[in-house]
Amino acid sequence: MNDFELNCSYYIVFKNQECIQSSLPDNVYYHQHHLVFENQKPIEIQVIFLLDDYIDFSITYTFEKRTQVNIIETKVLKNHAFLHKTMNLKEQAIVHIFNENNSNHDQSKMKEDIYLQRDALCHSGYAELSNSSIEGEYSYYLDGENADAQVRMAILSKENEQKSFKVLIQHNQPHTYGQMDNYGVVKDKGHLTIDGIGTITKGQHGSSSHQTNKIMVFDSECIASANPYLFIDEFDVKASHAAGVGKMDEEHLYYLQSRGLTKKQAMQLITYGYLKPVIEVIDNEMLKEHFEDVLSKVGA
Amino acid sequence: MSTLVIKDLHVNVGEKEILKGICLEIKTGEIHAIMGPNGNGKSTLLSAIMGHPKYNVTSGSILLENQDVLSMSVDERARAGLFLGMQYPQEIPGVTNSDFLKAAMNARLEKPISLFKFIRTLDKNIEELNMNENLAHRYLNEGFSGGEKKRNEILQMKLLKPQFALLDEIDSGLDVDALRVVSDAINSMRSDDFACVMVSHYERLFELVKPTHVHVLVNGQIVMSGGYELVEKIDQEGYEWIKELGIEMKEEEEKKPIILESCGKKESFKNE
Repeated sequence: MNDFELNCSYYIVFKNQECIQSSLPDNVYYHQHHLVFENQKPIEIQVIFLLDDYIDFSITYTFEKRTQVNIIETKVLKNHAFLHKTMNLKEQAIVHIFNENNSNHDQSKMKEDIYLQRDALCHSGYAELSNSSIEGEYSYYLDGENADAQVRMAILSKENEQKSFKVLIQHNQPHTYGQMDNYGVVKDKGHLTIDGIGTITKGQHGSSSHQTNKIMVFDSECIASANPYLFIDEFDVKASHAAGVGKMDEEHLYYLQSRGLTKKQAMQLITYGYLKPVIEVIDNEMLKEHFEDVLSKVGA
Repeated sequence: MSTLVIKDLHVNVGEKEILKGICLEIKTGEIHAIMGPNGNGKSTLLSAIMGHPKYNVTSGSILLENQDVLSMSVDERARAGLFLGMQYPQEIPGVTNSDFLKAAMNARLEKPISLFKFIRTLDKNIEELNMNENLAHRYLNEGFSGGEKKRNEILQMKLLKPQFALLDEIDSGLDVDALRVVSDAINSMRSDDFACVMVSHYERLFELVKPTHVHVLVNGQIVMSGGYELVEKIDQEGYEWIKELGIEMKEEEEKKPIILESCGKKESFKNE
């Protein structure tokens, strides 16, 4: 089975609702669907989810005060599998998380709820290049002052895949920061919907909510929709949104082709550049190579 | 020696005929200068040779070593030895210069260039062109000044080593020092296996890179060909004397008023 590769010294692998393999550092524990991080030193860990048909799995991560964790997460979800993840970041916890979906089946669902307390930071990158139809809902709640959530998505929808994602960043405390950059590419008869929602509730002055949603469309039968929403109930805030759906720039293609690249190579280079920011969430050479490899295999 | 032969080339943009029968023969070892007033077809000629999809060749032929260039795609033309240094190089976000340059070099090679050799070649050329050493990691032309963009075009020409380089106003946007660096780079490429067609308005470039042939392109046709003396005459007297020879000159392109577009989203709400 080549659904995942273990490259880190620390890892934990879930098959359906069981933990089947793990190597955890000191002060990181797993017990009954609950992964707890109390590590004193920064760590990097790989988390793998393998879910069979119709399996629902819920898991909670808790990051204790001042922990620093890099997570590389791989999901392989079979038909109608559902993964629900909750993350609690306590004060000053710093989490960088790269999510990769390697599913190869018809349809699956993911839901994530992330709660950030005071001074906590969560930077997430979602690489969604899987050969499957996916529904994803990711909600970030900034529940403490100075909490900071940044989300980047790179999505490819091709053939007859139907992918839809809803990303919410909700500001429940003053001086909180939220930013999302969701980028998609749609080919063949693929469908893609991205809803980006920034909510600043009343009283959350000094907060910033920014988002960009962009989809590049390759073929005439693609269906794509990028929808930004901003719900702001406070005056003293900064907020911005941008959304766009369009074709690859013909002049860009011409420029690259005029240097000898074939149209396919030129498109690949542009697509790679367009989706690449997602891997910058974690500085890891292996991730970069792997991402490049996956992109070239899917012919994007 | 290779030859690029352009015969009776007619080119349209949309319904409008821009080139009206261009004939030109360029041999490797030669440097051709094309001059002419704005809006008379100089850039169109270079873009049509490279195969820009906007330019529609309605009749005539372009042969490169007896190969039909017009039947080739843009990338095939590049791999056959043509290179266009553009007047307005594109900015491509997300694509780093190094990824792009490596891909372009590999497009010509049977076996991909080793990373070591690539970096060594790139660094050497960046230094020679007096460019910012961060260039490799920056996105292709994004945020580059006008001069940096032009130098980046020359960098590509040096790395890709074309047989026929077409340089469209490569001197615009360059300060005096940069112009010298770029001219030195073009001169360093001069050989029996390299030809260059340069479009420029200014004598300064042609002073630094001496052309072997000079052509004046007016109203879609080459109305005069000669040597360096033509450059000097145009520099001193402009193009008015050409009119006196009975040659009709095309006026500058029509100016259109700028219309501020209305917001597309609001318009669609109105129709709901």
